Formats: sequence, structure tokens, C-alpha cells
Amino acid sequence: MASGFGESTSKSPPSPSYSSNGNSNNEAGDFECNICFDLAQDPIITLCGHLFCWPCLYKWLHLHSQSQECPVCKALIEEEKLVPLYGRGKTSTDPRSKAIPGVNIPHRPTGQRPETAAPPPEANHFHQHGFGLMGGLGGFAPMATARFGNFTLSAAFGGFIPSLFNFQLHGYHNGSMYGGAAGYPYGYSNSFHGVHAHRYPLHAGQGQQDYYLKRLLLFVVFFVVLAFIWQ
Amino acid sequence: MTSSSATARKNLSKIACNRLQKELVEWQVNPPTGFKHKVTDNLQRWVIEVTGAPGTLYANETYQLQVDFPENYPMEAPQVIFLHPAPLHPHIYSNGHICLDILYDSWSPAMTVSSICISILSMLSSSTVKQRPEDNDRYVKNCRNGRSPKETRWWFHDDKV
Ligand SMILES: [Zn+2]
Ligand SMILES: [Zn+2]
Repeated sequence: MASGFGESTSKSPPSPSYSSNGNSNNEAGDFECNICFDLAQDPIITLCGHLFCWPCLYKWLHLHSQSQECPVCKALIEEEKLVPLYGRGKTSTDPRSKAIPGVNIPHRPTGQRPETAAPPPEANHFHQHGFGLMGGLGGFAPMATARFGNFTLSAAFGGFIPSLFNFQLHGYHNGSMYGGAAGYPYGYSNSFHGVHAHRYPLHAGQGQQDYYLKRLLLFVVFFVVLAFIWQ
Repeated sequence: MTSSSATARKNLSKIACNRLQKELVEWQVNPPTGFKHKVTDNLQRWVIEVTGAPGTLYANETYQLQVDFPENYPMEAPQVIFLHPAPLHPHIYSNGHICLDILYDSWSPAMTVSSICISILSMLSSSTVKQRPEDNDRYVKNCRNGRSPKETRWWFHDDKV
């Protein structure tokens, strides 16, 4: 049911547990290791999407199995393509807690971290920015604000109009993150303006703030232009 | 808990114990159709009653499966045999040994007692003749010394039945 967009926000992960409320005896089932059936320790995911404790999977692949197959679906497992799962809690538990004497389980493979995204072209900025704010309910807010300054700067040089919109976006989301999240799937990327014009009336009291923000922005823009001219 | 004493049959590891307890709870909540676990306080050996599915050659017949778990379960498959009398089936020997790949080479630690039971019932259900495997006598004679079916080098004829 959830759209692709919905899933890309940071709010969707809790939803599976809500939806499985119906059969209440298996709330954590989605996060249980497919070998020991406990909550996965040093969790690791195969490319086929199956979750295991790293010690459990390691022992199976190296000590007991004759093939490199996923225990659940028999897909081929390439160890360098395993993905560790880093939650918010302890980054690592002692792998020895699942150890067997005489067996040395190496460290869990680490995540492969693609390079930080390069500053995208102007149009994409909106997208990214909206994203950060969307996650603002969770841990993303600080990043969004941190980016904000940076963004205004680059936007100011790149083009004034987009940055104006972005200010609006910001004020708007501060006022109502939920509204923002709901509005997102309707296409921030294709019609920012439309969304805002449409949504503003819903958030009375926001207008005042936006007014000042706009003034502030115009002020900044003015100086930037001035700086350009003086160069 | 850890089995340092080398007894004839090693005790279950802590991981095995833990997992079997979970399987047992799950079984009690949602047992596979046609199976009854005979409650004992022995976690390492389960005795399970299986009733042939309606409309098959084994309808209304009941048999008993004995499931013994190794120390390293689920890394190693349990030993599963039919207690006497074993059903007449082209892949079930008269000593109760079952020629079923998932019990040996194709075992995976993601399988459960419950999933084994389902496979065994489907093996029974798809049978079209009630007869012993061709090499029954030879095989059974070879196992006289109480050899476990897990020590057999199985050759899986076909996977239809
Ligand atoms: Zn595990
Ligand atoms: Zn898999």
C-alpha cells in the first residue's frame, strides 16, 4: 500500500510493527535471526534480504555448510556483499557471546559507504532539503538545519527564486511536520509553489513568520546582489 | 549448561536449547496440521504423532516420529526416524529411516521441526504405492549395529515422492 515515496521517509520503519499488531505474539519477529530465532545480534543482511546474527551466519557458512547458500532461500551468498545493520543502540555486542569454544569468529563485515553525495544541481536541492526536514521528527532535524545555512549560500549564488521557495519550505515545516510529510508524495519535486499556495491557509499563524522570513531573505538577496555588482 | 562432560550423547548447547524452546512455543501456538507433539520434559527428543492426510494412501493411519536433536542444532539437522511400525512407503525403510534430502545434505538451519513435519507429510501424501524401498533389506541389515540414518550416504532417487 505504501507508496515508494512514503517508504523513503524516515517515518516508515515503525509502521511494520503497527501493521503486525494484529498478531501480537510476534512483534519483533521481523528482526529475529533466521538461524537462532533470537533478536539478531550483530545483525547482518544478505542481498536476498534475509537477516541473521553475524556469528550464526558465519558459523553456518564456514563450519557446517558445504555451500554458500542463504539458509532461508538458497540464494548464493557472497560475503563481501553482506550488509551489516547498524541500529541506534550499541554498535556491537561481544561476538563471543554466541561463540563456541575453539572457533574464532572474525569481525562482522563493515558497511560499504558510498561517497557523500556531491552537491546536486539546483533543482534537486529542493528534493534533498525537503527530505531532511521530513525526517526532522526523528534524528534528521539537526542535519537539515546545519545544511540550511550552507544551502542558502549556494542557492543565493545559483539563483534567487529557488532559495526564496526554500525559505518558505522551511518555515512551513517547522510549523507542521506532519502536514509536510503528508504533502510530500504529492510531488514537492514537481510543484513546490503549488503545494505551498495550497497549504498555507491550513496553518494560520504561520503567515506572520513567513512574512518575516521573506523579508529577511529579500534583505540577504539584496546584499548578495549588491556584492555582485560591487565586484 | 555447556557440555564439557563427553557423554554418549552430548547435551544441547545453550543456543540449541534456546531455539528449541522457541520452536516448542511456536508449535504449541500453531502446530502443523496432522501432527501432535507428545509432551515430555525432554527437549532433546521429541516424539510426534502424525496422521495421514485425508484422501491419501495413509488417511486415518497414525505413525510416530522420533526427533533427536544434536548438540549443535540447528547448525546440524536433527535425526528423524519413524518409530516401529514405519509407514509403508518407497522412501521409508522398515527400520524407520527416511530418505528425505532435507534431513541430511539439504538441511538448512532456517528449517524447523514444523517444516520437517510438513515435508514428511507431503512425502507421504504424494505416494502412489505402499511399498518399501527396493534396497530395504540390504540397507536395514547394514544398520543393524544401530547406525544413525545421518551416517548413511544417501542417494536421493527422485524428489517427486
Ligand atoms: Zn542468530
Ligand atoms: Zn535469502
